[in-house]
Amino acid sequence: MFEFEFMQHAFLGCTIVSVLAGTVGWFLILRRQAFAAHALSHIGFSGAAGAVWLGVSPLYGMIAFSLLAGLAMGSEAKGVVLSPHRDSMIGLVLAASLGLGTWFLHEANGASSMATTLLFGDVLGIDMPTLLALTGVAVLCLSGLVFLGRPLLFASLMPDVAQARGVPVRLTSLGFMAIAALACSACAEVSGALLAFSLMVGPAATALRLGLGPIAGLVSAVALALFLSWGGLALSWMTDIPVPFWIGLGAAACYGMACLVRR
Amino acid sequence: MAHPDNLFLDGVTLCAGHKTILDHVTLTVPITGMTLLAGRNGSGKSTFLKACLGLVRLQNGVLLVKGQPPETACKQIGYMPQGLNDAALMIPAISHVMAAMNGAQWGVSLPSRNRRENAERLLALTGALSFARRPLGLLSGGERQRVCLAQALTDNPKTLLLDEPLAALDHEAQHQIVSLLDTLTRELGISILMTSHETEALDGKVSRILKLENGSLHV
Repeated sequence: MFEFEFMQHAFLGCTIVSVLAGTVGWFLILRRQAFAAHALSHIGFSGAAGAVWLGVSPLYGMIAFSLLAGLAMGSEAKGVVLSPHRDSMIGLVLAASLGLGTWFLHEANGASSMATTLLFGDVLGIDMPTLLALTGVAVLCLSGLVFLGRPLLFASLMPDVAQARGVPVRLTSLGFMAIAALACSACAEVSGALLAFSLMVGPAATALRLGLGPIAGLVSAVALALFLSWGGLALSWMTDIPVPFWIGLGAAACYGMACLVRR
Repeated sequence: MAHPDNLFLDGVTLCAGHKTILDHVTLTVPITGMTLLAGRNGSGKSTFLKACLGLVRLQNGVLLVKGQPPETACKQIGYMPQGLNDAALMIPAISHVMAAMNGAQWGVSLPSRNRRENAERLLALTGALSFARRPLGLLSGGERQRVCLAQALTDNPKTLLLDEPLAALDHEAQHQIVSLLDTLTRELGISILMTSHETEALDGKVSRILKLENGSLHV
């Protein structure tokens, strides 16, 4: 399986994306923003469709759209993680983006195969330029997380207390949503817009369900994301069933097992 | 006077929406020891505590906490908000305390035995060490209050602002917490400004009562 260059690229791509999905996903679930992870990857689809229409790489369209949407979502935080308006804001940004995406595909006269690729991903089609772009996105996101680290964790666990201690909660929230948007775009490259959030949400939700602290939780989420994406690739190679199927199913199974363990 | 032990208000007007909490209030009062901020439900006690932390802006006037404006003073204040923390209930209690240590500094904190021991010391002080490793969501209301108090004590605050710290506690737990707060004021010199409706448990322990009513604040 490793003698083919496309499989080597696929495994490298999965490794980069899994590290990113595990860490960013853990914070997303901690902050109860699973809906944001879901929405951001769908919004990325619209950006990718727009990029296809303009004749540029879908990844760049995905990044641009997700980033804008992430900042819009973060702006509704108003310093409180559980703002009642937050989900409404995410839903509306998602609805508008999907509308735009449909129009972009229509204008691009896009073949249904293009839409399918954007929605379900094409991990086996990752080339060297995409791999380099994914590496760049991952380095940027992880550096951002390291910089935001302490205030982000503090504000995620106790927003009121963090704000009282002088944490710029709104700025931290915006910074994190920008990171999440970039990470969702990268994940969509592997598992597609429809299932990108399975790699973001599944491992992180499992780690949190197990009641692990921040460090153990982050390490477990990354390890699980790697297990799912590598396992998905290997199983796809053996069974000829698409990778996102295995990732999605595996994510649900991992969470189910965590529920059984913590019953 | 803007003395380092005083709460100083000069012509302070404070509103919550359309409701006026303080109307041109001028007052200087020491806040050493344990100070109870009393008032009816909805009188604006929580809003006033938030104003002392710089979380709510004054409409008018000058407010100094121990000689400093709220935006500066907040860095040396431990705050415990009203109501139980219902964010991140799946994370162990000790992680909530550790996250508050130098939590406003950029960057990440690497795992260290010192941090953990310090968190355990604070949890022991508030009687929460025995359930420190359990997820916050599995703790009772009273247990969570103890964890929140340990969290407020991180980074060696000079002042504690506690919003209803005795709520959700049974009588025995209330007396234990009041006894702990009394120890903090006497042995560590921490000033406490707190709101509470459980005045019986505070009998004999409070240095002064600040009454908030009809837009005025007086001792």
